[in-house]
Amino acid sequence: MKVVAITGKGGTGKTAVAAMLIRKLVSKDKTILAIDADPDSNLPEVLGDEVEQTVGDQREFLMTQRDNLPPDTDKSRVLESKIYSVLSEQTGYDLLVMGRPEGKGCYCFANNLLRGIMDRIIKNYDLTIVDTAAGMEHLSRGIIQDVNELIVVTDGSKRGLHTAQRIRELVNELDLNIEKMHVVLNKVTPQNSERLQEYAGELGLDLAGVIPFDETIAQFDLEGRPLKELPSTSPAIIEIENIIIQLGL
Amino acid sequence: MTDEFPFEISPMFEGERVRKDDMYLELAGPKSKGFELVRASEMDEIEDGKFTLIGPDISDANEGDRLPLAMIYRIAGELVETDLEAIVERRNHDFQNYIQGLMHLNQRYDVWLRINKDAITKGLNSFEQIARATMMLFKNEMSFIEKIEATYITDMDKVQEALDEAMSVYAARDERTRNLHDEDVDVFYGCTLCQSFAPTSVCVITPDRIALCGAINWFDGRAAAKVDPEGPQFAIEKGECLDEIGGEYTGVNEKAVALSGGEYQRIKIHSFFEFPHTSCGCFEVVGFYIPELDGIGWVDRDYAEMAPNGLPFSTMAGQTGGGKQVMGFLGVGINYFRSPKFIQSDGGWDRVVWMPKNLKDKIMNDIPEDIVDKVATEEDAKDLDTLKAFLIDKGHPIVEKWVPEEEEEPEMEAASVPMPTMSMPAFDPAMMQNMAAMGGGGGIKVTLKNAKVTIDRIVLSSKK
Repeated sequence: MKVVAITGKGGTGKTAVAAMLIRKLVSKDKTILAIDADPDSNLPEVLGDEVEQTVGDQREFLMTQRDNLPPDTDKSRVLESKIYSVLSEQTGYDLLVMGRPEGKGCYCFANNLLRGIMDRIIKNYDLTIVDTAAGMEHLSRGIIQDVNELIVVTDGSKRGLHTAQRIRELVNELDLNIEKMHVVLNKVTPQNSERLQEYAGELGLDLAGVIPFDETIAQFDLEGRPLKELPSTSPAIIEIENIIIQLGL
Repeated sequence: MTDEFPFEISPMFEGERVRKDDMYLELAGPKSKGFELVRASEMDEIEDGKFTLIGPDISDANEGDRLPLAMIYRIAGELVETDLEAIVERRNHDFQNYIQGLMHLNQRYDVWLRINKDAITKGLNSFEQIARATMMLFKNEMSFIEKIEATYITDMDKVQEALDEAMSVYAARDERTRNLHDEDVDVFYGCTLCQSFAPTSVCVITPDRIALCGAINWFDGRAAAKVDPEGPQFAIEKGECLDEIGGEYTGVNEKAVALSGGEYQRIKIHSFFEFPHTSCGCFEVVGFYIPELDGIGWVDRDYAEMAPNGLPFSTMAGQTGGGKQVMGFLGVGINYFRSPKFIQSDGGWDRVVWMPKNLKDKIMNDIPEDIVDKVATEEDAKDLDTLKAFLIDKGHPIVEKWVPEEEEEPEMEAASVPMPTMSMPAFDPAMMQNMAAMGGGGGIKVTLKNAKVTIDRIVLSSKK
């Protein structure tokens, strides 16, 4: 049972990296829970799955219906069952979309229930892969509490690496329970590879992988094809394999 | 102990999820029907250990099938009574989750079960095995159950028939639950979720008072405290009742001292003016005293306009929040309006003069019939003058309490607001303004601590 969170600046390809990791790990017979925790992202689409309802919707159900439920209803059980019902069950992995943020009102109790439920769900999988926005809202609220590996994905820009540095500061500020933090360079070309690795070294970031710019991914993205269909020979997939080995996933 | 079963039984299997890939059989759940029900019976009506199955068994089903499932347990024993049914029924979830390879979710008519392939491989082939294990656990863990028998139904029509009957049992049970009051229990619950931003907040949750956030009722407190007694929700022993109407208890007062770090020593759960419940900041609705009318108005978070006292929810919430006992304001959860003890120390509904229409509509059915038309909304009044006229026109009970001679009016106010017993919020220019706006009293802040004041007459008049 391990939790890997993937974050980074928008447009760096963190969702693609998450999808490729899921694809590769499923092929290794690991049971995976994929969590889309970025309201701005499209992990289901990149994986080629359809998800109709989200955890946020179910939390909202609890918020609006709480006075209509039988008075002695165990709300934790109701919410747990509701969340299981929106878990999209795929071959080899299950996908959960966190969805809409909180509305007005106090979500302390609902989130507290959710925390316990997420904890229990995560324990059922060999690996949980969380795709989260750079603000890491669900981690900072403790909805997803313990993260073993945080991977910051960055593209071929110095700005991307600075984002990685800021995320590291954020992790310290928020006092998040994150064991290790790594950087993965994405869409790297022969021209910028060396410089980027130097930058990463200067900033003291642990480099977990260098994913080359991949024509096939660009083509898939263009056609809107799910990345889990990428061929094993794709250079990006090969590097993903290295990352899995390096992180011991 | 469990050699007779082809599966292991242990609390360690709680939380075990059966994924679709690993699932052999799905029972009830969102795509089918089902329920669980426990009924109390007479000793001679029960054949201990008996199991009846109506409909196909596990061995009749194929991998990937889905069946409806009703689980009806009848229990008997000297101490068994109808009131215990719900408590026993709730344990079905726990016990079935102890069974390896069986997942049980939710409760009542929302139950959802799955059996995994491993369990089938190891020899699970009949509902009888599950029912026997569950009955064994019921008897082991709840010794007052002397006899138990189970009927499981997997035939859709029969499940539907039985469900219709079960619904009336649930409805009757809910009715009893709604009639549970503060005086019926020995334990209240506290919550510290808000203490991160309201460190002196003392949240007391009783059968007649939901938490201010509206999210936690007494049953939620009980459920959470049972799972984790050291968690954010915990039991508060009521102790001795000091004021039945106001709702003051020694146990609550002791806890108030501990939770507020000594800031508050007394809390009256159903009082607006005297030692009111602290207001955290999460409250759904804030009540505000209107001195000119001696009435109380309420405004909820969704109402963006000014209340008749000239202040919007946000301003009042800002002043009231922070976990303090604030004079003239009180935060509550919407469900508290449904409580038969709703601010009963201060006249209950007879003291309520105004609330936004949306809020009033939400709780319309729970407002006492004789007052419902006399409580104004923004459609009737947006300022104090029109509100006053409305109350007189409708014959609101508060009008009778107004003393016609202006000079005597303040005396009554002084009596209804026991200032010496409360500390006012720390100095806050906005609060001063607010006091001026609501009372017309000018920018004066009076703090009296341990004071004994005797006044024969005070005459207050506004600046001309």
